[in-house]
Amino acid sequence: MLLEARNVSKAFGDFRAVAGADIAVEQGEIVGLIGPNGAGKSTFFNCLAGDTLPTTGRILFDGVDVTRAPPEAHARAGIGRTFQVPTTFDDMSVLANVMVGAFLRRPHRNDAREHARRIVELTGLRADQPARSLGTPSRKRLEIARVLASGPRLLLLDESLAGLTPGELPEAIALVRRIHRMGVTIVIVEHIMEVIMTLTRRVLVFNQGRVIASGTPEQVVRDEAVIEAYLGRGARRPRE
Amino acid sequence: MRKLLAQPASGQRVSICLLAIALVLYPLVFSDAFYRDIGVTFLLAAISASAWNIVGGYAGQVSVGHSMFFGLGAYTPLLLYTLWGWPPLAGIPVGILLSIGLAIIIGLPTFRLSGHYFSMATIAVAELIRIFVGTWALVGGAIGLQGPALARGWWDLTFRGDLPYYYIFLAVLALVLAVTFVLEQRRFGYYLRAIKSSERAARSLGVPVRRTKLQALALSAAFAAMAGSLYGVKTGFIDPDSGFGILVSVQMVIFAALGGAGTLFGPLIGALILVPLQTAANTWFGGGGSGATFVIYGGIIVLIARFEPGGLFDLWRRLAPLLRRRAHAA
Repeated sequence: MLLEARNVSKAFGDFRAVAGADIAVEQGEIVGLIGPNGAGKSTFFNCLAGDTLPTTGRILFDGVDVTRAPPEAHARAGIGRTFQVPTTFDDMSVLANVMVGAFLRRPHRNDAREHARRIVELTGLRADQPARSLGTPSRKRLEIARVLASGPRLLLLDESLAGLTPGELPEAIALVRRIHRMGVTIVIVEHIMEVIMTLTRRVLVFNQGRVIASGTPEQVVRDEAVIEAYLGRGARRPRE
Repeated sequence: MRKLLAQPASGQRVSICLLAIALVLYPLVFSDAFYRDIGVTFLLAAISASAWNIVGGYAGQVSVGHSMFFGLGAYTPLLLYTLWGWPPLAGIPVGILLSIGLAIIIGLPTFRLSGHYFSMATIAVAELIRIFVGTWALVGGAIGLQGPALARGWWDLTFRGDLPYYYIFLAVLALVLAVTFVLEQRRFGYYLRAIKSSERAARSLGVPVRRTKLQALALSAAFAAMAGSLYGVKTGFIDPDSGFGILVSVQMVIFAALGGAGTLFGPLIGALILVPLQTAANTWFGGGGSGATFVIYGGIIVLIARFEPGGLFDLWRRLAPLLRRRAHAA
């Protein structure tokens, strides 16, 4: 098992954003994480990435307990993540952004630059463009490039494809596939069902801070509990 | 190495060379004591602001308490001279080491704070030190300390004219800028800019944020202490206000911010503009000039914050291509 989280909870005061969530991801999988807004997906993600300290529970990465390790230790161990709201380094060029990621495993500038150039090419960005001038979809792409350059074994994508037009989606999906083929295990939070349906073979559905269903995308969308979570109780009741 | 040197655009390289030549020749052309004094003051301001720039500009950790390092650098050689007759040249490295130690002690707790809170904490610490030093008899209390009046040898760094100081200061400025330039190109420099932009994102990419910030502060403190020691040795006298006063800290911030914080030559350009202006204000308004300095600084802070947060360097970078295009069209 590459990633295993058991009984993870995160409380903000009285509110439990994550309430006893579990996840287990095998090396080489693409796992989808879906759920209505406010289900606690991002908080759970932040716990997995070391950005938020869980109130309870344990998180193991490749058998090592990383529950209380800081985010930089997660990165060194091989857990990479993107942010729901893209946080690119706006004063720097696209290439320099990606180099910051590349420096993690390539301390020398020229090595890092070479590696970053390859990654930038792979993601279809323009190396010399200032990050400030990018639109939101390109920023998300830059985030992917940046974390990819840091050489992760597990990539946590937090709505990286949100905001793309239907025309841009296939290219983005192809990019995620390419990253997967490079041997990177992926957990992806996404609202666009097309993305989940085409990319993943296993989906976890989050609601009110815990996993309420899991299975193939086809199974999950027919699940009673899932429909209720998205549409509310009685959605299935025939109209009178 | 050749690649490293080839990096700045050729136009930029030419202007750097011209600036260097101008700085070397300045005191020979303007041999009047008044102008040489302005030159020395400018170099000192440029060194201090460039030192501040490493942590305040590149890493975006706006310290408004750098006078603590400047003051420690200024006091240490004069204190060691007063107590045991040490030559200032031997006291300077001690002051630098003490400043690095102070930077680590101050940085560990204050770097838990971010943004304005960090700035406030640095002001508080510097003010505490200033008040403490002002009441401590061993370091001269409110009166301060004096250096050697007559040189026992060159190692006392006590010269009659400004000329030797000018060239010593110029060499130190070159050292600070060279170190900054090299670091800017390396992983450390990329990490500093990433931290300035988003600590959270930087950490997610494995950047050891706290260690990097501490290293930047320690280096910045070392150079600020060097500036302070040069000031103390040159003036031959130091008191709590000229060493640890808040104006010392504010000047570093303003000079760097006006020219362009986080750029190699920004602090130097800021000093190039403000030092003559300050001298002019002092000449025009006489004894009341120091008050006018505050007024000018206040105005500059407002203007930079409102219109050009990136400083003049950033403004130039945006304007230069437009001007060039217009020149081509004409």
